[in-house]
Amino acid sequence: MSLYEGIRLISDKQTVVFDIGSAYTKYGYAGESVPRGIIKTEVKCPESGKIRKVFSYEDSQDLYQLLVEFIHLLFFRHVVVSPKDIKVIIVESILTPTEFRDTLAKVFFRHFEIGSLMLAPSHLVAVSTLGVSTALVLDVGYKEATLIPIYEGVPVLKAWQALPLAGHAVHECIKKELKTVLPNDGSDVEKTIEDIKVRTCFVTTIERSLKLQTDEPPIAPPSVKYPGVKTITVPGSVREKAFELLWERDNDNLSVPTMILDAIVKCPVDMRHPLAENILLIGGTTMAKGFLPRLKSELLTLLKSNLYSEKLKISTVKFHKAPSKANYTAWLGGAIFGIADLPLRCLTKENYLMSNRVPDWASLIDNQKSDSLINSM
Amino acid sequence: MAYLFQPDYVRYVCSCGSVKPVSKIYFCRHCLKVRCGYCVCHEVDSHYCSNCMENLPSPEVRLKKNKCSNCFECPCCFQTLSTRAAPAPVRAGGNPSVEDTKSLAKPPPKKVYYLSCSFCRWTSRDAGIPDQFVATGGWPEQENPHLARIVALLEYHKILASRERQQSERKKFHPKRTYMQFEKFAMSSVMVRKRAGLCPLPQSQQSDYPQPAVASEEVEELSPDIFTQPLDITKITTLEQRLKHPDVQAEEINQLRPQHKQFLMKRSQRCRVCEHNVCKPEYSPQSIKFKIQLAAFYHIPEVRIVTCEPLRIGQTSELLLKLCNPTQHQTQIMLFPLSTSITPTTVTAAGTKEVDRENMQLGCESPNLLPSLVRQITVTEDPKPLKLSPQAEIILPESILILPPRDDAAEYDDTGDTHNFQDDPKLVVWRKGNKAVIRLLVKPNEDEQIEEGKEITVGFVMQYGYVNTIATLEHKEPQKLDLKIKLFLSIGKLVGST
Repeated sequence: MSLYEGIRLISDKQTVVFDIGSAYTKYGYAGESVPRGIIKTEVKCPESGKIRKVFSYEDSQDLYQLLVEFIHLLFFRHVVVSPKDIKVIIVESILTPTEFRDTLAKVFFRHFEIGSLMLAPSHLVAVSTLGVSTALVLDVGYKEATLIPIYEGVPVLKAWQALPLAGHAVHECIKKELKTVLPNDGSDVEKTIEDIKVRTCFVTTIERSLKLQTDEPPIAPPSVKYPGVKTITVPGSVREKAFELLWERDNDNLSVPTMILDAIVKCPVDMRHPLAENILLIGGTTMAKGFLPRLKSELLTLLKSNLYSEKLKISTVKFHKAPSKANYTAWLGGAIFGIADLPLRCLTKENYLMSNRVPDWASLIDNQKSDSLINSM
Repeated sequence: MAYLFQPDYVRYVCSCGSVKPVSKIYFCRHCLKVRCGYCVCHEVDSHYCSNCMENLPSPEVRLKKNKCSNCFECPCCFQTLSTRAAPAPVRAGGNPSVEDTKSLAKPPPKKVYYLSCSFCRWTSRDAGIPDQFVATGGWPEQENPHLARIVALLEYHKILASRERQQSERKKFHPKRTYMQFEKFAMSSVMVRKRAGLCPLPQSQQSDYPQPAVASEEVEELSPDIFTQPLDITKITTLEQRLKHPDVQAEEINQLRPQHKQFLMKRSQRCRVCEHNVCKPEYSPQSIKFKIQLAAFYHIPEVRIVTCEPLRIGQTSELLLKLCNPTQHQTQIMLFPLSTSITPTTVTAAGTKEVDRENMQLGCESPNLLPSLVRQITVTEDPKPLKLSPQAEIILPESILILPPRDDAAEYDDTGDTHNFQDDPKLVVWRKGNKAVIRLLVKPNEDEQIEEGKEITVGFVMQYGYVNTIATLEHKEPQKLDLKIKLFLSIGKLVGST
C-alpha cells in the first residue's frame, strides 16, 4: 500500500464503514480502497443455535437481538476494534425500511455506544467513486433491484424504481430447475445453489434468448458436473436460463431494462440524455458473466420498440466502470465519502440520546430546513 | 462448573434479562450485580496473530491493516500455510554432467522456499509464484490496480469537506448580510443582479477536481466460447474464495494468491454501570490467565440438579438440588417464589433495609472510576424481555439453609463434618463441606395445556448471604448483604398425566 495511506491511518481516528446487504455485509475503514472483508449477513442464534439471516427477522425485538449478535461478531471478530465512541458510516439504500434503520441505530448507540453514525444513501455515495455528479445508479443485489438516478449530486426520488428481480429470484429459478437432483437436507441448499450460480451460470445473449423461446432452441451449452457429496449434473439449459427472468417482462411489462428506461422517462427532458449516458451498475448480481452486454442490447432493443420509441429520443446508452468490483462499489463510495469529516451530516450520540430518533428523509420534521442531509455533494 | 457440552439445565437471570448458565455470567463486586456478555462493555485489549503469537501495539496493527506480515492463509481452504524448503533447482543447459558434479561438490546446496498448505495441498508453485531465497517475507504483494484513482478521489473529497466546513463557518458569522460576500469579491449588487441566472463562475479550486470517469458505449461482450467449450468446474473459484480477497475476486484457481493472516484480539470486559473491569486477560497472547476475573461461579452459590422424579400433571414429584458455596464466607440461602423483588438487602441493628448501590454511591465516593464531571452521559439499554415462564409449581421451604465457606483442605478430609447445623431434616438430604443437597417438591401446572414430552421449567428466587470485602469510605468493615438472583431450571420432560 502507498505511504500516503499509512500516514493518514495513524494521524486520526478511524471511521468504520459498513454496508449491510441482505446477503453479504461489506466492512472496512473509511479512506481505504477495498473493504477488509465481505461476509454473509447471518448469525448463529444464541438461543436455538441455528444460523439465521439477519434480514429474516420477525419483529423489531427479534431484529434487535439478531443485530446485536451480528454487529458484535463484526466488531470483535472481523473489524477488530472497540466500538465505544467510534465513528460509523452505514451505507444503506434510501428505500431501507424505517424499522430496520431505527433498530440499527438503536443497536449502535444503545448497545455499542458508538460516538456518531452517518447513514449514507448507497446510490448517492456510489457516484462518488466516479468523480462525476450525474449518474443513473442501478443496484441489483440479493433481495431486489433498486434504481435511483442522481443528477448533479441530488437523487431524483421521483424516478425511483424497485423490482424483486435480483439474486434471490435467480436462486429460486435454479432451485426450481434442479429440484429433482438437489440434496434436500435444507440448510446447505441455498449455499449450493449460490455456488452453482456463481461458478457455472451466465447471462446469455439477446439473440439466443429469443431463439430459446421458439420451438427450435439453439444447442445448449455443455452441462457441468458439480462435485459434492452427490455429484449434481447442471444441464446447459439451466446454466443459460438462470438469469432469464431478469429480462422477461412481467404482467406489468416490467423488467430490469424497463426500470432504467421508465426512470429516464420520469425525469425531466433535459436530464434524460446525461442519465442515459452515465449508467452505473452496482451490486453483486451485476457481476454475472454477460450481464452488462445483455443489458445494453436489451436497452437498445427496447428503445427501438414501439413501447419507448415515441417517449424517448435516446439512441445511445453508456456505462461507467467504477474503480472496484460491483459488489462493493457502494461500500467504496461510503469509504470515499466518509474520508470527509463532516460532523454536520452525522448523528452524534448526544443528539440521538436526546431525541431518541433517527432523522429520516421521508419525515417532514427533518425536511423543514433547506440544508437537509441529502444535499449537493 | 457448568456442563460444557450439555444443554444448560440451570440458568441464572442476569440483571439485563439474559438467561445464562453460571459459567457464562460475571458478578460485579462494585455494583453487587450479575452481569453477562450481553450487558458488559467489550474492549479490545491487544491484537495477536493466532499462528506466530506475535502481538503488536495498536498503531502498528492499524498500519499493517490488522494482518500478520509473516503468516499466510491458504486461498483455497483458509488454513494457515507453512513454509517449505526445497533444494534449488539445477540449472538446465550447458554440460549436464559437469553441472551435476559441481552441485554435488558444493556442501550446502542452496535452498529455496515456497508456501504450502498441509490441508488441501495447495502450494505457491501452483499459483506460479516464484520461490523465495529467504524463509520469511519477500512474497510479492498484490496491489489494487485502482489505488491511484481512489487516492485522487479521496483527496478531492477532503477538499470538498474543508470547503463545506468553511462555508458553514462563514454562515455562522454573517447569517444575514449575504450580499456583503459579493462585495468582498469586488462585485457590486448591480453585477450580482446581472449574474443571476447565468452559470456559476468557475472556481479557482476547480483544478483539484480529479478527471471524471468517462462512460463508454463499449462493453465487454460475452465470449462465444461459453456456448461450446466444456467448463472445468475444478478450475473455477468458489464465491467464498473470491470474497476472501475482495479487490481481485479471481475467477480461476491459479490466480489465487496467499493472503496475510488476520490478527485476533484479546478483549476485556467492563461493567457498564460502574466502569470497573469484570474480566481482564493478561496482555501476553501466550498466557491464558486473567488479571481480573470476576466470574459468577466464584461468588454466587451454584445450583445443580441431582435427580428429579418423573413429572406427571397433577402429581408432586421430588426434586433434589445440590447447592455449593464457592466463597470464603459462610452463607445462608433462602428460596422465594419468582415474583419476589430482587433488590439487595442488608441486615443492620435497625432491621432489614434495602440497598441500592447505584444511587447510594453517586455521592462523594462514587463506584465509578472517573469523577462524575468527566464521565460521559450514561447510555442505558432497555433490558431484554424475559421469555421464560415456569410450567410447574414449586413448593419452597421456609427454613434457612446455611452453607459453610469453601475449604480446599476439607475436600481430602474424610473424618466427617465438624459443623453442627440444626438442619431441617425434611429439607436437607445430605451435607458435606460447603455443599448440601436439598429436597423440593414440584407439581406441573394443571390448568395449562402441556403436551406430553414437553420440557418442564421451574423457577425461583434464591437469596444468599454475600460478604462485601471491598473497603469503601462508608464501610471500612466487610459488609454483609443479602442478595437475590432468579433461577430457571429445566427439570425434565413431562411423562404424562395421572
